[in-house]
Amino acid sequence: MQGTANFSNSVLPSEDLPHLTKLSFEHLSPLYAKSNRYISLFSTLFIISVLFIALLQRFIPLSTTANNVVSFFIGATALVGFISTFYTIVADKQKFYALREQDLSYKSGVVFRKTVSQPMLRIQHVELKRGPIDRKIGLATLQVFSAGGAMHTFEIPGLPLEKAESIRQFILDHKDVNHHG
Amino acid sequence: MDKSTETLNNNSDATTQPNKTIKNTKDWQRISPIAIIYFLAKFVAGFLSNILVFLPALYIGYDNFIAHPHLWLPIGLGVLAVIITSTFLSFYFFQYRLYQDHIEIRSGVISKKYVNLPFAKIQNVKLEQPIYYRPFGFTCLQLDTAGSAKQEAKVVALKIDFAEQLKKEILAQHQVAHSTIAGESTNTVKDSTSNNKNNEVILNTRGITDLVIHGITNNRIWIFMGGLAPFLDDFGRYIVEFFNGLGIDLEKFLTFSDKPMWQIGLYALTLTFIILLPFTLFSIAGSIITFYNFTLSKVDDRYIRRSGLLTKYEVIMRLSRLQMVVRQQDWLDVILKRINLKFEQSNSALNQYQASAQNSRIIVPSINPNECLTLINDVYPNNKMMSIDYHRISKRFLLRNIGYILSPMFILLSVLFITLDKANFLMVLTPSYLFMSVLVFMRWLRWGYAKDDDLIYIRKGYFGVDYTCFPIFKTQQVQCKQSWFQERHQLSSIRIVLAAGAQDIPFIKQKLAYQLLDDVLYQVESSQKSWM
Repeated sequence: MQGTANFSNSVLPSEDLPHLTKLSFEHLSPLYAKSNRYISLFSTLFIISVLFIALLQRFIPLSTTANNVVSFFIGATALVGFISTFYTIVADKQKFYALREQDLSYKSGVVFRKTVSQPMLRIQHVELKRGPIDRKIGLATLQVFSAGGAMHTFEIPGLPLEKAESIRQFILDHKDVNHHG
Repeated sequence: MDKSTETLNNNSDATTQPNKTIKNTKDWQRISPIAIIYFLAKFVAGFLSNILVFLPALYIGYDNFIAHPHLWLPIGLGVLAVIITSTFLSFYFFQYRLYQDHIEIRSGVISKKYVNLPFAKIQNVKLEQPIYYRPFGFTCLQLDTAGSAKQEAKVVALKIDFAEQLKKEILAQHQVAHSTIAGESTNTVKDSTSNNKNNEVILNTRGITDLVIHGITNNRIWIFMGGLAPFLDDFGRYIVEFFNGLGIDLEKFLTFSDKPMWQIGLYALTLTFIILLPFTLFSIAGSIITFYNFTLSKVDDRYIRRSGLLTKYEVIMRLSRLQMVVRQQDWLDVILKRINLKFEQSNSALNQYQASAQNSRIIVPSINPNECLTLINDVYPNNKMMSIDYHRISKRFLLRNIGYILSPMFILLSVLFITLDKANFLMVLTPSYLFMSVLVFMRWLRWGYAKDDDLIYIRKGYFGVDYTCFPIFKTQQVQCKQSWFQERHQLSSIRIVLAAGAQDIPFIKQKLAYQLLDDVLYQVESSQKSWM
């Protein structure tokens, strides 16, 4: 059992307690923001083009009401798509993570800025999640589970694979996880 | 350990396995045939809970049944035969064995299930005695692990003595496993396991009066009313017809224009009481069924809750598993000076669909303030829950909720109604706006937080008041949130996530928020203490 004597979590040696305000945050992979941008843009374009095809095809003639509805949806999709793409661009710039000896932190949010800190001592298990696009561009999402429940799964998206793997290894090697996990 | 095992072996002679030790029953054991009743009850319960699905089938079936009784009788008998066979098979295929400090359970008729639990991994042992087991002295043994809900096991029919011994043994195992990590001497463990029976101290009991009060104060009537809302129209019509049948013209009674104010008030009051009464009685019955013969007792570091009118429950919680204490008072509780005290355990591992989820906490219903203080002090001896000064959250909480959310909505709706010439809607709108503003104000008034060396205290509520307190090192995760609005005023909201749920403190000074979180993280990371 380690005592408090071995404890260190220092960011700045001059401080007597480590401070969350002094975290040195790192950016996510630039590919993450880029892929999000494209996903948002292309999914919008895809929905719009499907609606356009529905509107312009001549096999099943649409009633005037249906026509209006579809036209309305095209407009709405374009608007929502534009806003969400714009939001993605802004929001992805606000996502950072920080790593200390004893905890992980992740900062995000545009209007509501949120910083989540997860002490390694309380980590139950770690997962790397990679969707098809993540695999294509070599990114991974690091998921960290604590006893806080599924609602409070700690997640850092958009990490380069090696980085994610090394953080995972770092967590697994952390002495306390072995003791209490 | 040797010593305690021996004593257990001797005792187990009287139980179902005369020649085998409790620890090793290498062969697979079948439980007592009494379990057939359990499986039958489970089947019926399952059927009833899905009754809505079967209802149309039953309805059609009923008409057909009347029309062709000769055809439906064999079918009915067939269904009955299937039920009996399936419950028998459930019993037949349910086997367990205890082998090298593991419990293994095989069950399932068509889809087979196999569970292997090492005693050391078992976090929680519960005894559950349904009413039909009582005359025969049987009980269900429910074993929980901290890990996942899938790894849960229930041995459905064991003799009470045997279950008790098994429980003791499992808990002792757990203690050994823990103490080797914590570096305690195993001597103390032996002592505590062998003396279990002797030093059980009863901390609290609840009488019928207390349970009646609990039923009244914890009336879930509004939830019922909410659920009934779609049927209220029909219900109303039915009542009017009912009174018409009695020769009373309800509509004439309730035409207000020609009646004086006091009479209308009296009607309203009487009507409210008539509606409230059955729900209250229902709630009282529920409270008695759940908490009948409630005792909370303590053996060493284990708290034991026993209660139940029909099904008797026994929940055991180790002190180390306690995540937080909640001292809860609804507005009626405040008037009657009663408190519901909750000892919350980890609930993340438990599946919300499982009935056991609600039992993972220990509730002490409707106790008075002194009893409450004694219990809290027993759990956390150094706590200052009721004596510490709570810091209020910022007044901007009021400004944000009333000033920036409620008032604009109210003004907007008012303007809308007036322009639509429906000004009489304001009769409803204004009181509800005022009421919600009062709610927000009460929320602000109640919300406070405090911290000492080991514990964090949070007070909140509306008209009632809840005090929560938890050891800082139990924290799983911390969050700090800040909106643009809050940033401008150097305010933050924080959330401290525990295994028993998240606790929020909104609108506190940014500097304080970070100080608090830094300190929490420091305590968690430096204490090295396990959270369970």
